[in-house]
Amino acid sequence: MRNHRTIAYLYTLPWVITFGLFWTFPLIYSFLMGFTNSRLLAKEFSWIGWANYSALLQDSAFLSALKNTFVFALGTIPVTTVLALLLALLVNREFKGRGLFRSGFFVPSITSLVVVALIFANLYSRGGYVAMIGQMLGFETPQNGFLYDSGTALYSIMAMDVWMSVGYYMLIFLAGLKAIPDELYEAAEINGASPTRQFFSITLPLLKPVALFILVVNSIKSFQVFVEIFVMTKGKFDTMTSVYFIYEKGLTTQFEFGYASAAAYILFVIIGIFSLAQFLLFRQRKDYSW
Amino acid sequence: MKRFLALMTTLLITGTTASARSTIEWWQFWTDPGIKPTVDSLVTAFEQANPDIDVTVTDLTWANGQEKIVIALASGTGPDVLELGSDWIAQFADNGHLSDLTAELAPDSAQFSGWGMSTYGGKLYAKPWILGTRVLFANRDLLNKAGYPPDFVPATLVQFRDAAIKIGTALGKDVYGWGSNTAEKHRLYKKYLPFFWSWGAQLFTDDDKYCVISSENGINSLTFYKMIHDSIGFVADQRGVEDAFLDGKVGFVLSGDWLVKRIELEKRKFNLAAFLMPGWDFPGRSFLGGEFLAINEQSGNKAAAVKFINFITSPEAQMAFCKANRSANPSSKAAQNDPYFESDPILNVFIKQMRNSIHPPVDPNWPAYENAIEAAVEDVLFGRGLPATALRDANRKIMEARSRNAKP
Repeated sequence: MRNHRTIAYLYTLPWVITFGLFWTFPLIYSFLMGFTNSRLLAKEFSWIGWANYSALLQDSAFLSALKNTFVFALGTIPVTTVLALLLALLVNREFKGRGLFRSGFFVPSITSLVVVALIFANLYSRGGYVAMIGQMLGFETPQNGFLYDSGTALYSIMAMDVWMSVGYYMLIFLAGLKAIPDELYEAAEINGASPTRQFFSITLPLLKPVALFILVVNSIKSFQVFVEIFVMTKGKFDTMTSVYFIYEKGLTTQFEFGYASAAAYILFVIIGIFSLAQFLLFRQRKDYSW
Repeated sequence: MKRFLALMTTLLITGTTASARSTIEWWQFWTDPGIKPTVDSLVTAFEQANPDIDVTVTDLTWANGQEKIVIALASGTGPDVLELGSDWIAQFADNGHLSDLTAELAPDSAQFSGWGMSTYGGKLYAKPWILGTRVLFANRDLLNKAGYPPDFVPATLVQFRDAAIKIGTALGKDVYGWGSNTAEKHRLYKKYLPFFWSWGAQLFTDDDKYCVISSENGINSLTFYKMIHDSIGFVADQRGVEDAFLDGKVGFVLSGDWLVKRIELEKRKFNLAAFLMPGWDFPGRSFLGGEFLAINEQSGNKAAAVKFINFITSPEAQMAFCKANRSANPSSKAAQNDPYFESDPILNVFIKQMRNSIHPPVDPNWPAYENAIEAAVEDVLFGRGLPATALRDANRKIMEARSRNAKP
């Protein structure tokens, strides 16, 4: 028996070593680094306690990045979730060409984010299609394009993000819808429940675990937004987000590892609190009502 | 016994030969197909002239080259010779990653320009190679259409402003007077600082103790820059601005010698005019930067590396490079005086402008200063900031960065 246990441990050893080396060690090391003035180029560094954290909380660039991250997350998560649910309800119905719609909605989420970002940068540019359509509809569009205007850049990226990710969450909602037993709807129908009542009393409550998963995953993803910003604006025009700030501080120009690590841990705590709040909110009642 | 002796002798000879040969590794950024063969041929010529030295070349890109250099130096795996941008030198030198080359380079310093950018703490850390400045380009056809004579030269900022406004307002809705860069990192400040300096402003006091970016001249220069940006500016990234300029939609742009090369490569029929930067005193001051060759402090082949640097920066090698790349700013003074530049009216403007250009301070905190300057310009051009407020904010940030990182 003991021999079997040893062999089992041996089998898991490669994963344990990899996990320790590439996940646990960097996690602990970067946490400790947040309390130092470490810079990649400097040969020495020293322990400075909470100085990085207190400096960050007074750093207007970091606070602005946090604000933008919250705007991005709080602006995209509800829209993406609601749209994904509506699309899932739509493509869950029987109609001709349903498969085409399902695939069509899902394709953006499997396309390279860099490619999508480049295409949207073009669409949002001066004289691009978005500006053209906006002008045709009588809207005033930014003179230099949507991404070169502090008032529209972040929202334009958010719109792209919603377009790109809604199909993925739609698919997850669709799986959730398929798991709801038909008997429940039949019984409700016999009892005279209207389709609206069925939606609010059966569909929505039973989708709660799926919705929780989507909200948590989408929150983490939104708080970590980086690629879109890197490709489309480089953090300019009021689009600097927390992860882009960390990248700029830690991996460009001055390579301030200590400062960037502290910023990363502040973001880590925020994401943790946000995720925990969602879990608590959804676990309050077990009767599947919202 | 004879065999043994012969074998030992052979081993000794080959061993000695092998130990005498050295290999130096060079990391460089010139990967464009138009110039890479020239770089390779220069390396080959060096190896032929120095049969005891081999050179291994590694190409870097501007997208992530700096990251690679930093990581390599920090981990002790850097190459012997590094091509560095002028604004990186202070940071690397300050952290002890570059060899002090004062003894090796000082003797022929009079033969080269640009030493100010590679001197830190009174020591020379890199040799100037290919320098770079920006000049004012104009579309001569648009100037003519706007009613200016064919020999018109905007010598003052007022003359430049008036000509740009005339082009931007009199030649139709799709023609702009000025190509204005958007908030691109590492680019925007290079476009603004020539106006700042040409207005007579300076970043620091003469004794280098205090930042004075928000002086009256500084504020006026940013007000002027915003005015041309807002009223007649075609706003895009560097490529977009140059595209519009070459498509005949923009009257003036501030750009580098790569634009000349691009016109030739694309075989464009373009009536290009190049002017020295206008200013209150003519000529105005432009931005000066460049490529430098430095040696890793940990290099075990310093002597060979110095030999290589001297070869690559020799007037002949620089001329071969400049001709292949249409580069206009060799660091070698002998190369600058070559008839090749004298006979080319456009490239000649670069040579003259280089002598009237200013480089940013050689300071390890420069990235923080650069961020502060770009943030101020961005805020004024694209946000709601006022020049005075934005520059005062930049002034404060620069002084804070300086005091935060001051050495005891």
